[in-house]
Amino acid sequence: MKTILLAGMMGIWATGAMAHSPLDTTTPDNAATVTEMPTEVLMDFKGDIRLTRVSITHAGKHSMDMDLGEQKAFMQQFALPMHDMGAGVYVVEWRGLGDDGHALNGTFSFTVE
Amino acid sequence: MPDAFGLAAIVTKFALYLGVMTAAGTVIATLMFRLDRTRGLAAAFAALGLMATVLAFSLRGANLTGDVSGMTDPEMLGLLWSTPVGTALLLRLVGLGLLIAGLFMGRIGTWVSVFGGGIAIWSFDHVGHVSGRDTTLLYIALTLHLLAFALWIGVLTPLKRLASSSGTYALAADVGHRFGIIATITVPALIIAGGYMGYVLVGSLDALIGTGYGQALIIKVLLVGLLLVLAAANKLRFIPALRLGDSAAANHLSKSISVEWLVILAVLGTTAVLTTNLTLPT
Repeated sequence: MKTILLAGMMGIWATGAMAHSPLDTTTPDNAATVTEMPTEVLMDFKGDIRLTRVSITHAGKHSMDMDLGEQKAFMQQFALPMHDMGAGVYVVEWRGLGDDGHALNGTFSFTVE
Repeated sequence: MPDAFGLAAIVTKFALYLGVMTAAGTVIATLMFRLDRTRGLAAAFAALGLMATVLAFSLRGANLTGDVSGMTDPEMLGLLWSTPVGTALLLRLVGLGLLIAGLFMGRIGTWVSVFGGGIAIWSFDHVGHVSGRDTTLLYIALTLHLLAFALWIGVLTPLKRLASSSGTYALAADVGHRFGIIATITVPALIIAGGYMGYVLVGSLDALIGTGYGQALIIKVLLVGLLLVLAAANKLRFIPALRLGDSAAANHLSKSISVEWLVILAVLGTTAVLTTNLTLPT
């Protein structure tokens, strides 16, 4: 019986998703292609969130934490300064805390030609 | 499949539920049925609950940074402290602390322990899928659901112990009989409260069948159904037989309780997955 229960629970784990992504819009848009490197990335959330870590990966190689600067409060809109790392795909991975205590995270990307 | 932190969060949540529910249930059962020798049991599960409380809080810190450093990062933990997660942490530490302290305070201490257990159980109203909704009825339902289940869990081990020695068969029959009477109220309350919460949180038959959350809930309901069958066998067959002095019934009761425990562990495990790793259908 234990085996059956275990198998059932593994099944649930497999279908589970850590998805709590209340990110409304981003600039550049997710999956957008832009001709020029933006000076900053804008993130607009559906509710108040405190960002705790945002990292950016360029062309699947260089990864760095973005500077949250003074934006360390619960708010809806964030503007994070960008470093030009050249053409290619930029993947932004963010983590944060909702004001209800829920951990939130998500990813979006854009391409610079 | 969740990452290592996701799995750690589920295992910790499972230990938290097991610790808090069993500790609180044991002291409530001790008060209601005037049980002896339950102090070690309650203390051990309260200690498990305390460890899981701290670890669960710390793991939430890791969730914020995405690595181990978050587990001890003062900024991240301070941030969590300012949210309802911090309130729940405080209630669990105080509640379980009182529960343990009460165990060493003699007769009046049982009330202190029960009060502490109540606070620890109440902490679950502050975080998770039920919190943040303006439905008082939902909070009442969750609290009733947890109290009724805690009592059920709490009575099992002492009852099994009484049924394991011929000197206490009569006492086992008596406690089992009295719990059986109370359970005719608490178990339907548990089911109605659970059904109501499921209805509010899941919302539709499509969501029940079509989402991971709904499917996990179905598994939980099936497990509880199995638990009810076992409990019915105890109440309708083994306890009455034991009251009539049938010593073989004590053995059956003891084995039945062991199986009940296995199913309860599965119920708590499924609940940990539900509350940690699955999002509510929208």
